[in-house]
Amino acid sequence: MSELLVVDRRWIARGAERSSTTRFLLWLVPWVALLALGIYAAGLCLYYGLNQTNMDNRFAFGMWIFLDLAIIAMGAGAFFTGFLVYILKQADLKPILNSAVVLGFICYSGAVAVLMVDVGQPLRAWFTFWYPNTHSMLTEVTFCITCYLFVLILEYIPVLLRNRQLRKVPSFLVFEHQLHHLVPVLAALGAFLSFFHQGSLGGLYGVLRGRPFAFRQGFAIWPSTFFLFILSAIAVGPSFLILVTAAAEKLTGQKLVQPGVFRKLGLISGLLLGVYVAAKAIDTLIWLNITSRAVGFAPWDFYSYKPFGSALLFLEIVPLGLLPAFLLTVPLTAKKRGWLLCGAALACGGILLNRFVLTVQTLALPTLAFDEFLKYIPSWQEVASFAGVIAYGVIVYSLSYRYLPMFGRVKGADTNVSVG
Amino acid sequence: MSARYGMVIDLDRCTGCGSCMVACAAENNVPPATSRATPRTGLTPMLVRKVSNGADGAAKREVFIPISCMHCGNETPCVSVCPQQAVEVDKATGIVMQMPQRCLGCRYCMVACPYHARYFNWWDPAWPAGMEKSLNPGVAVRMRGVVEKCNLCHARLHSAMEKAAANRKKEIDPADYIPACVEACPTGAILFGNLADKNDGVFSAAHSPDAFRLLARLGTEPKVYYKSGQAWVRALAERDSERAKESEHV
Amino acid sequence: MKFSRRDLLIGSAGATAGFLLTPVPWKLLGDVSIWTQNWPWIPQPVRGPVETTQSFCTLCASGCGIRARMAAGYPVGISGVRNHPITKGALCPLGFAAHQLNWHPQRLREVRHRGRAASWAEARAAFEKARKEGPVAVVDGRSGRAASSVLEAFAKKENDSYQVVPSVESQALAPYADWSGDPVSAFGYDLENVRTIVSFGAPLLDGWGAPGRFTRLWSERAVGAADPQLRLIQIESSLSRTAGCAWQWVPVREGSEAQLAAGVARVLLEEDLVAAQGPMPQLSLVEVAAQTGLTTEAIRDLARKMVENRPVMVIATDGNPAIAALNVLLGAVGAPGGIIKRGERVQPQAPYEASGGSPRAILLDATVPWEFTPKTDGEVFRFAAWDGGGNKADWLLPAPGFLEELTDVPTAPTSAVDTYAVALNLVAPPAEIKGAAQFLLELDPSLRVVEQVIHRRCEELFHARRGMVYAEQAIAITEFDSAQKFEEQLRKGAVWMDSPPRISAFRCELKEWPAENNVRQGTNWAAAWAPPVLPALATKLYQESNLRELPAGRQA
Repeated sequence: MSELLVVDRRWIARGAERSSTTRFLLWLVPWVALLALGIYAAGLCLYYGLNQTNMDNRFAFGMWIFLDLAIIAMGAGAFFTGFLVYILKQADLKPILNSAVVLGFICYSGAVAVLMVDVGQPLRAWFTFWYPNTHSMLTEVTFCITCYLFVLILEYIPVLLRNRQLRKVPSFLVFEHQLHHLVPVLAALGAFLSFFHQGSLGGLYGVLRGRPFAFRQGFAIWPSTFFLFILSAIAVGPSFLILVTAAAEKLTGQKLVQPGVFRKLGLISGLLLGVYVAAKAIDTLIWLNITSRAVGFAPWDFYSYKPFGSALLFLEIVPLGLLPAFLLTVPLTAKKRGWLLCGAALACGGILLNRFVLTVQTLALPTLAFDEFLKYIPSWQEVASFAGVIAYGVIVYSLSYRYLPMFGRVKGADTNVSVG
Repeated sequence: MSARYGMVIDLDRCTGCGSCMVACAAENNVPPATSRATPRTGLTPMLVRKVSNGADGAAKREVFIPISCMHCGNETPCVSVCPQQAVEVDKATGIVMQMPQRCLGCRYCMVACPYHARYFNWWDPAWPAGMEKSLNPGVAVRMRGVVEKCNLCHARLHSAMEKAAANRKKEIDPADYIPACVEACPTGAILFGNLADKNDGVFSAAHSPDAFRLLARLGTEPKVYYKSGQAWVRALAERDSERAKESEHV
Repeated sequence: MKFSRRDLLIGSAGATAGFLLTPVPWKLLGDVSIWTQNWPWIPQPVRGPVETTQSFCTLCASGCGIRARMAAGYPVGISGVRNHPITKGALCPLGFAAHQLNWHPQRLREVRHRGRAASWAEARAAFEKARKEGPVAVVDGRSGRAASSVLEAFAKKENDSYQVVPSVESQALAPYADWSGDPVSAFGYDLENVRTIVSFGAPLLDGWGAPGRFTRLWSERAVGAADPQLRLIQIESSLSRTAGCAWQWVPVREGSEAQLAAGVARVLLEEDLVAAQGPMPQLSLVEVAAQTGLTTEAIRDLARKMVENRPVMVIATDGNPAIAALNVLLGAVGAPGGIIKRGERVQPQAPYEASGGSPRAILLDATVPWEFTPKTDGEVFRFAAWDGGGNKADWLLPAPGFLEELTDVPTAPTSAVDTYAVALNLVAPPAEIKGAAQFLLELDPSLRVVEQVIHRRCEELFHARRGMVYAEQAIAITEFDSAQKFEEQLRKGAVWMDSPPRISAFRCELKEWPAENNVRQGTNWAAAWAPPVLPALATKLYQESNLRELPAGRQA
């Protein structure tokens, strides 16, 4: 056992304060168990088929798609922070960039893993690349997400290679150094790809002519949800980053970033959230009064089914939209950490609700005049698979925090520790 | 040939017997339900839906509405959303063709279809031992994890085309191409033909004043029309008719 | 030359790029896609040329014409026959999947004696033993077939009893038999000439008679006009499919149909709407209104509507004399558009009697409904192609299934005109399968085999020189050179139909109005379906959709 402790210590950066090996293993155990359960549930779905879920012909998309869209929105912090640091030259956000990349990597790899279980024939996933349909938003999503995952891997590798032991391998050091030059390019590429796939995820629903609840007018081939999703993603990415980092600080008992970083992220998030809410309000008015009415669907067709009444729309725009925008930008509240975190959490909640409404409520609502409002409750396999992804994320983040320089040093500028 | 095959279903003649549903399933090698299947996880490329006028007692009326793929002709929702072109509109016939062999099973097309005319193979298709000898050789059996739907009995069109070619004819004989549901209906409620041909009976039926299409205002130009002399049935076409405003929901 | 790590990297990169330019990875990808299309556990259809032949469905007494597409000796598709003069291409929903029935998991493939496997030899020995000890009863579920004559001939030889279980539709005709003294199998409904039908709950559009006959008539004449040629008035307590499609639905309280008939009869007589003078029912109109839940005005209106558009006919679900009496009142017996007597070639049959003589053994033919349980101490020998479960038969004997037996198709019980057809066996039955007729022939080889009976019947028809033969076209029977040619045509799927009979008036004596007690037997959409199991694809109707309920007593 002491052997293990010694080995473990050797992988941790010199001078970095980390909890004891035993404590760390204890921390990991429940997450590993959850991951194992998730793998088992996913295995059941792959082996027996998707009848293991509670999805059906009317709820063809279920919890997994909702959570995929949510994770990807949360993971937008990765590309957006990179964009802010390298393109908009906001250097004071550099300390948080590595963890943003790790978080992004977790979110996107988890989403892709769940998608592979969600499709009926995973071995045919490559067909999208071979027979792409240029009219389909999902083609766009597939291409951009896989490319962006590749970009994230390339961005994660330098962080990985800066591990104390891995640094000792000269070719790794050289490779990492070469990648350095690529980083701004990768950031720009990442921003470009993300712009499109975040938007296309919104476009997935906005183009659905057959689902007036989701269908929106737009600009050229892009429905308004395309732009709203981008806006909401870049608004929530920084908030999610704040929340995760704050949680990490709480759990590790260490100060990981300067408070100024949180404030800046919060301000950016809040401002973007404000713009998003304004845009969404206008979009909602147009959608309810013009777009849907033109095809015979009135607001009460969408909001007369409890508990999915119009209160949900209000909730999304005001308590989970305007309020966090306010909390995150106005100095009175933004200065205080507690309020900032509250604002960040509400912002994330608002985006989660938005994704939920668009994925689940769209399918619950009737289209034909004689359809009914439908219910759907995910099966344990669906919940467990997703819990497994969360566990995977916690494990990767924990391992990255323990063995990699995710945050660098807070006080003093140690030039050895490069974070970009 | 450039036909636009479609149907006109006379709802005043549909008795809701379900012969079309069974004949469709037999022709297209649709497997019988597993023990856990329900109306929401079943495979019914032709589905007859029972709709009531909402009244009680002596004023109650019901209508049976057979729903299959509408073979939408304009900005076909399922065609534009499939990420790998596993669905396409056949320009020669107007039939919306589904290729289960290319389908990834992402189910985006099922979300896109406002008529819920697409069905997913949630289970591996299974028949009792030996029953696969009763399968139609002209239609490929699907596997689990793919979407399927009505394709206007394309295997029958294919046979008709082969027969015409063997007889050195350019056009098929309409009598050789009759989808299973049309053939099965005991009251002749389903009229099938080429909507692009003004001499075809289906053309005049589709343009009669009693004819309507479901959710026509969505603009997808479905090729399945319905017909009824009863006003309350015609009102089922769109959501914003008087009937739809009754709060049957919450 | 030193081989460095750099060289390795460059070499690998080059090899990879080159490899991608070869067909190998792309072919492998293509192969992967083929593998994902054809896993070995996916069932495959049979291979072979597909030929189309004609025969007849024998799963109920309607005998619908079917066209079977055959591949490698198995039917792979069933459709109707457009040229059939009565069914006109229609089948019931279950008929389209009937070709799957022979592989139903509950298919009987071996002799079973009280739950354990046995042999034909044992069954035969047991039957012969019982027969030595006393008389046996032979029960037929569908009389008039060639096999029926074998069953009957066997029974008559040794003073055993031959009994018939009447079909649901035959039971409805029983009152006319009682009143006129003619056998029930002589009667039919002249639907083709009627203009108003008053159905007391009979599911005319959903499982009554041959699927195509009334549905096509109704579609042509009753739909699409404000004042249709054919008016269907459906009297039923709930909105059935037939009631929903009817010209008028009269929602009467459940169980009060006979009372309504009495009330209508009273109005018809009091308002001089019919030529008959009586007999007058006991119930007053007010009493009828109270019991049926209708107003007296509604009952009067119904009576007037009934006679507005003549000829009018009343159809009941069962043999309730109170409803049948209405036909007598309306003059709808022995008249066009009413209950008519068909041709002359009819044999009287004795209906089944529960306690007729306490037989030592009862032999139930496969056509006898599965729910039929004879009350007897004797040994029960049950022929069936499918095991419906819960049966108390001592012996279960595997009979031929769908299209596995040569048989003929006599006139359907509700038909207005005599028909005859021969249903060829298109499929070879599995080993160990034997029908009741064949079983009895082994016991008594002196009996005429089914094929010979069919042959004789064809000859009789040919020599009678009446009627038309419906194949691709309708040909008069007189156009055939020989009985043999006529039989050949029948074996190919043609239908012989008698010339429409001269409708002879026959007298129904009604001394008094029948008592209005109701013996209502429920019918459901699969009531006429003889097998105790449904085809596999029936799940589309009751499990994978909300279109129908699983019929009571049926297994999936």
